[in-house]
Amino acid sequence: MVTFIIRRLIGTVFILLLVAAITFAIFFLLPRLAGETAYGLATQYVGRNPTPAAVHQMEQTLGFNEPLYVQFGRYIKAIVAGEHYQGQWCGPPCLGYSFKNQQPVWPQMISDVPVTLSIAIGAAVLWLIGGVTIGVISALKRGTIFDRLSMSVALAGVSLPVFFTGLIALELFSYKWPIFPNVQYVAITQNPYLWAKNLVLPWIVLAFLYAALYARLTRAGMLETLNEDYIRTARAKGLRERTVIIKHALRAALTPIVTIFGLDLGLLLGGAILTEVTFSMHGLGLFTVEAINNQDFPEIMGVTLLAAFFIIIANLIVDILYSVLDPRVRY
Amino acid sequence: MMRRMRIGVTATCAAAVLVLAACSSSSSSSSSTTTTSGPSFNEGVTSVINPSTAKGGTITYDDSSVFDSTDPGNTYYAHVWNFSRLYATPLMTYTSTPGAGGNDLVPALATAPGVVSDNGLTWTYTIKPNVKFEDGTTVTSADVKYAVERTFDRTVLPNGPSYFQVLLGGNAATYPGPYKDRSKNIMGLTAITTPNPTTVVFHLAKPFADFDYVVAIPQTAPVPPDKDTGANYQLHPISTGPYEFQSYALNKQLTLVPNPNWNPADDPEASQLASKIVVNFNVNADDIDNRLLAGDIQMDIAGTGVQAAARARILSSPSLTKQADDPLSGFMWFFYINTKVAPLNNVACRRAIEYAANKITLQDAYGGSVGGDLASTAMPPTVIGYQSFDMYEALSKPNGDPTMAKQELTACGQPNGFTTGIAYRSDRPKEVAAATALQAALATVGIKTTLHGYPSGTYYSNFAGSPAYVHSHDLGIDIGGWAPDWPDGFGWFDEIANGNAIVPAGNTNIEELNDPVVNNYLAEMESASSTSALRAMLANEIDHQVMSDAVMLPIVYAKSLLYRSPALTNIYVQKYYGMYNYAVLGTS
Repeated sequence: MVTFIIRRLIGTVFILLLVAAITFAIFFLLPRLAGETAYGLATQYVGRNPTPAAVHQMEQTLGFNEPLYVQFGRYIKAIVAGEHYQGQWCGPPCLGYSFKNQQPVWPQMISDVPVTLSIAIGAAVLWLIGGVTIGVISALKRGTIFDRLSMSVALAGVSLPVFFTGLIALELFSYKWPIFPNVQYVAITQNPYLWAKNLVLPWIVLAFLYAALYARLTRAGMLETLNEDYIRTARAKGLRERTVIIKHALRAALTPIVTIFGLDLGLLLGGAILTEVTFSMHGLGLFTVEAINNQDFPEIMGVTLLAAFFIIIANLIVDILYSVLDPRVRY
Repeated sequence: MMRRMRIGVTATCAAAVLVLAACSSSSSSSSSTTTTSGPSFNEGVTSVINPSTAKGGTITYDDSSVFDSTDPGNTYYAHVWNFSRLYATPLMTYTSTPGAGGNDLVPALATAPGVVSDNGLTWTYTIKPNVKFEDGTTVTSADVKYAVERTFDRTVLPNGPSYFQVLLGGNAATYPGPYKDRSKNIMGLTAITTPNPTTVVFHLAKPFADFDYVVAIPQTAPVPPDKDTGANYQLHPISTGPYEFQSYALNKQLTLVPNPNWNPADDPEASQLASKIVVNFNVNADDIDNRLLAGDIQMDIAGTGVQAAARARILSSPSLTKQADDPLSGFMWFFYINTKVAPLNNVACRRAIEYAANKITLQDAYGGSVGGDLASTAMPPTVIGYQSFDMYEALSKPNGDPTMAKQELTACGQPNGFTTGIAYRSDRPKEVAAATALQAALATVGIKTTLHGYPSGTYYSNFAGSPAYVHSHDLGIDIGGWAPDWPDGFGWFDEIANGNAIVPAGNTNIEELNDPVVNNYLAEMESASSTSALRAMLANEIDHQVMSDAVMLPIVYAKSLLYRSPALTNIYVQKYYGMYNYAVLGTS
């Protein structure tokens, strides 16, 4: 198992290098292939009213006249060893310098991580518990009113986008009936009660979407598992129904759930973009939107690498969890 | 049994919808209670609403985006210049008053406007004695000189205007700024001298009659050299205004508190009433309007008006309409018609576009009459010297004049029309609508156009503002907008119509007009002998000449529907900014 983890972590480094190279190529090679000059690239970093001298100076500062592999090499070196930008020290991991905000990228992103973590993990707990529970009950009560109603609601949850349910939630529960007025992020270290209260709406809105999906997945998995011979054997041996459902049926049905959960949580940790934009919470998702709107390439590259890292780590954890869920899986 | 269940579920859902609709309509009817007293629609344009000297409370602003910088030496957004008056005092400023007086210059840090000598090449300002920074140290002329010096390093402070680099003499052309080789370069700009702690002298390369306007830009707000942290100064500029930074989480939240070392007598154009000012950044634009109408915040700091949904809500509710103002914002939206892209290098072809355009559909693209007044000139009414005229029947025949358009096409040798491209910013729905409307109107006279959308972040740097790109991609018509850095004809026209302003990237003279008549008028405006009356007359002459050259297709003189929070005191529209004056607000 340890060897497996070490091997995967080494692989993670190579994958992240590949992601960095591809992203670097998209933002710095493709424009040049399309005919953009170093001068043209530099104009994006010099504000609204640049003099030609200022653009040339920025061109030199950013090294746009150097070969692309040199520019990429300097970028990777900064991640490992740090770099000076505009007289500021950008310590490792230095994921570049935002010339729009005039701040290193990494500290900006790190300050946004707690917000995204709060939204993603809180919603994940809700959707996992809620979705799996509803899915199990629906499978056990197949064909009943509960089953039909829950699957209809699940269909609505999967169909309605977060920005729609989020805006409806704000309109109803923040403005019309001010149960959650003036939703904004409060750090848990500042005020745990307000932290939780202000996150209830984003959690529920985000969890509604995913719980629906997980309810349907769980129901389908449970229905398949409940028809297996070993379930009939377990009941015939006189095991309690709760033991049959949870220890035998659900456990077997959880494997695809865990796979999907790893991917979903990994993606969300890179930024719950729609939720953060809808509720104006400054997490990695809102950071990404701002970076794209500003065409801030260093920030876009930084958040791409961080999101890729989260996805890779989430998948690693999922693979480890397989061995816990399924004794047949050994590394 | 199943059928009864389905009917029951359907009935329940229908009832829920009706309940929601009833709640919505009862809510809106409760907010539309008619009052017979209090301010009226647009009253904030001409009067101070809720005048009060009461202190205390918190004013909360929301911003759907972020500031380009809070550093007064590194910002070029109108609302940031407005807001920066709370912590930065430049040499000159605009009179804090509603109405026409809001375009008048008055001294701020200076005791009086600049004293001009040496045939207009020297401008001398005396700064008020004993003005303090937030830490209690006294502001000196050296701090003003340093504030201007630091703006010369465009790699550290890239955002602000570059007037000082262009206008100042001495070693201004080669001065690198104080950040490189500090021992050699700090206070090394010879174009500014400080003979004593309260006198600062600017030595110009050539006369510039509008220099008082230039020093009204926040770049002259003093900066103590030993407290300057370069690119990080934006995190805590040292205040000379009524408020100081308490905390600033970059692009997330800014909090200001009263500056204990500010003396109201030093700056009558600003006030210190609220106990705290908070700005939240990157807030969902529609949510800002909801929060504003619900009273959770007091101001949308961008000052460009509410979104479409809130606009409809405000205009349909008499009580909300009373709390709204719809001032001219100082912006104007128009299409540049390029003089280098054939066949638009022929003025008759350009005039054909002027006649063919349907101004009503273009105005609708910008929100109808609430979004702006039909424009017929190249200069809006907010600019000193404006006079209305209608060279291409924009007001008399706003739906267009195909007959005249076809005559012009014949005159330019294109009787069956021609083909060209229209460039616009694809992430701006109004520009998408305007480009589409223009395409349809031009097609009626045989001018076939292809639409080209570009991201707004790089529109001026890489696309419409790159003459090489415009020529190679046949972008004969390019949408744009403009607001002047100061409200006279030079401030309006120099960057967008002066032949000397054409640059290879970030070009704002997108039509690439190089008309000697216009160039000479602009030069005459800034000559040593120029007077304000002459400048007003010349502005009007340039307006006529630019329209005669048919290089701009005016769309609207932009207006912004602003919502006036009832919780605010001393609220009015400052004409220079085209939005509420943030320097004087209090809260009840």
